[in-house]
Amino acid sequence: MAQTRERPKPVLHPDFCKGCGRCIESCPKHCIEAGTEIDGATGLIPVQLRLDSCNGCSLCLEACPEPYGLDHESPEPRSSEPPHIPGTENLVAIAAKRRVAETIPDVRVPMPALRPLVVKGTYASAIGALLAGCRHFFGYPITPSTDGAELMAKLLPELEGHFVQAVSEVATINHMYGTGGAGLRCMTFTSSPGFSLMLEGLSYMIGAEIPGVVVDVMRAGPGLGNIGPEQGDIKIACRGPGHGTTQTLVYAPATPQEMLDLTMLAFDKAFEYRNPVLVACDGYLGQITGRVDLPSYMVKPGLPDWAVWGDAAHRPNLHTSILLNEADQEAHNVKLLAKYAQMIDREQRADLYETDDADVLIVAANTPARTAKGAVAVLRKQGIKAGLFRPITLWPFPIRALAPVLPRMKAVVVVEASNGQLEDELRLALSHADLHAPPPITNVRHYGGIMPQMNEIVACARAAHEATPSRRTRETEAEAAARVLS
Amino acid sequence: MKEPTVLPTYQAKDFKSDLKPIWCPGCGDFGVVQAIYRALAAIGRAPHDIAFVSGIGCSSRIPGYTTAYGFNSVHGRALPIAQGIKLANPDLLVLVAGGDGDGFSIGGGHVPHAIRRNLDLTYIVMDNQIYGLTKGQLSPTSPKGLHTVTSGLGSLEEPVNPLLYTLAYGAGFVAQGTPADMAGLAEIIEEAIRFPGFAFVNVQSPCVTFGEDDQQVKAHRAAMKPLKSIGHDQTSRIAAMDLAQQYGQSLHTGVFYRNPAPAPTYDAQVRERQQAMAEKAVPRERILDMFVQK
Ligand SMILES: Cc1ncc(C[n+]2csc(CCOP(=O)(O)OP(=O)(O)O)c2C)c(N)n1
Ligand code: SF4
Ligand code: SF4
Ligand code: SF4
Repeated sequence: MAQTRERPKPVLHPDFCKGCGRCIESCPKHCIEAGTEIDGATGLIPVQLRLDSCNGCSLCLEACPEPYGLDHESPEPRSSEPPHIPGTENLVAIAAKRRVAETIPDVRVPMPALRPLVVKGTYASAIGALLAGCRHFFGYPITPSTDGAELMAKLLPELEGHFVQAVSEVATINHMYGTGGAGLRCMTFTSSPGFSLMLEGLSYMIGAEIPGVVVDVMRAGPGLGNIGPEQGDIKIACRGPGHGTTQTLVYAPATPQEMLDLTMLAFDKAFEYRNPVLVACDGYLGQITGRVDLPSYMVKPGLPDWAVWGDAAHRPNLHTSILLNEADQEAHNVKLLAKYAQMIDREQRADLYETDDADVLIVAANTPARTAKGAVAVLRKQGIKAGLFRPITLWPFPIRALAPVLPRMKAVVVVEASNGQLEDELRLALSHADLHAPPPITNVRHYGGIMPQMNEIVACARAAHEATPSRRTRETEAEAAARVLS
Repeated sequence: MKEPTVLPTYQAKDFKSDLKPIWCPGCGDFGVVQAIYRALAAIGRAPHDIAFVSGIGCSSRIPGYTTAYGFNSVHGRALPIAQGIKLANPDLLVLVAGGDGDGFSIGGGHVPHAIRRNLDLTYIVMDNQIYGLTKGQLSPTSPKGLHTVTSGLGSLEEPVNPLLYTLAYGAGFVAQGTPADMAGLAEIIEEAIRFPGFAFVNVQSPCVTFGEDDQQVKAHRAAMKPLKSIGHDQTSRIAAMDLAQQYGQSLHTGVFYRNPAPAPTYDAQVRERQQAMAEKAVPRERILDMFVQK
């Protein structure tokens, strides 16, 4: 009688199987089936073995392209240690005796008192970036943002810096992912259509926690629109710079001075939070000139410990936004959310103008806020106590500064060069703060490259003032305000 | 009995729209649009049978100046949009045009794939080696060392060679023209449109406002070397690639390469497949049967 020697049957290591199915085809006994369950560790779907009719021919082992996908049955249980992968000895050794990277802190270098400059908004922002220690600029020309890029092109070579005209905005934001990942300060100037193209990259940078500064000189849209000023990117800047759980600080300067100051601040915040920061201005602000006082210091950037840098200490640093395991991804999101919560807690900024005795509150940002300031003066001459609330951070919306003044107001007028995107931020912030009965909100809106005019703001505020006869001093709102403040 | 259809004939002016071009006086693009009018008149298709797609740039304004259906579309995306149109209505004659920045910088990734998909499109690039609309920045075809507002000390990058690239990507028709020779340009564009498959025409179209002196119409007239006069074999891709290497140094005009046995176009292959499957195809009203397990 023929002796049948028992041949070992295969075992599957699900965490090394990529589910390619080659073993399925190779098995003459049809023992292997396509899997149905996603493997938590790999995000892939390993095959399933049903070895009742298996004769141990080993054909599946030969078919498997993965060195550890299928194995012979062995008496000892497989240890949970990952198998030794030849060729990685070096890396393991390096990791074992690696020096730990240390953060080299930024240094603030005092500057002598200099005469103020008179420059346009985009130039002020570019100068702010240089003073903040930014030496890498990537950008793709697009009106009305290109002036800022052109100034960087002129100055950076003299500062041992790099100016690269990227082949597109997609390339731009990914250059920034690279330079930011290497731990250096970098930026771009763009305008709305270009900003749209950067959203994907921004999401990756946020996911991988990479800093960088994007100055968006907003122009009219949708589509190509025109080169007139608008604030139509507030929505994508505040509600989702890219897909997924994303959020960035969004600064809204109103003067060339703030273009400089907030761009400088943006770099510090980008590195503090390891997150991109947006500076959103309108096309008008990019072009107008104004007096700009220079700061008392400039920054000599250090190097964060997480940087991808060419030495052994930084060798283990890996930047990625890929987390295949759902639980890991959720944990990472929770971490990002905690960071956003911190931003909401610490980073709200606003400017309140003549609000102490006001009963009509105008809310506006960027250039419309300057027009609104003029409107406040006109209204006061006409006997209407108007005030201006100007968010400097569009995200997080500075609700904490708004809440205490709100109960005194008879009416709120939101002035913006967009279809209500600023008003949406305001309403959302009110809602999150449980301020559910704000004074009536009316608005002055323009789009398409047209800015709200002073006479329109005055007329709207007058009408709102007259429509609401008595001052609202509702207890609940004062209480709610106190709660937000606490 | 059917009346024999009398085909209407068209003249160049039938393709000229009422819109007045807002190009700078002397811009090379004026010559390009004239050459397109002439080529379209020679082809003889009605304006409503033509779709003209462009990206964004000075040159991309061109569809508006014709009576064809026009798309002044998205910066860098004219080729994918044109493919969408051609697939939606394969009977349309689809022209695509734009600048060198539009086509080889932001839209550069689409070029090889449009070529290998080989839809019957004619792609005209107005190559002025500069960004015109955004006022004089570096373009992907700017020569190395060029001083612009974004390259004050001279560009450090090698230019793209549109002729060599498209030849290498496998385009069946590659030509170059200049508005300095309008009749020649019109002929080239006509031939490109008649070519079955993806056809590429690089037009050296000077930017009078931001361009270099040696890149102006007058200089072109003196410098141009028609390929016909040097006895070039336009059926040889290798000979064409050899000549194309002189892009940027010599201004060769004419057809560099014309595949003598053009490969079947994507649209033709789709139609063939659809016809072959027509007999077996499920009638439309029973389309859901396909998803119901028997
Ligand atoms: C996404 C996006 N980025 C940038 C721009 C701005 N822009 C318009 S045309 C153009 C380039 C123009 O150069 P080219 O394509 O060579 O055409 P030309 O104007 O020289 O004819 C740029 C950068 C845009 N419209 N959209
Ligand atoms: S050892 Fe042979 S019979 Fe057993 S599962 Fe693999 S291929 Fe099939
Ligand atoms: S051949 Fe290997 S990797 Fe592919 S499905 Fe089979 S066990 Fe998995
Ligand atoms: S800027 Fe140059 S490309 Fe644009 S219209 Fe004027 S000459 Fe032509």
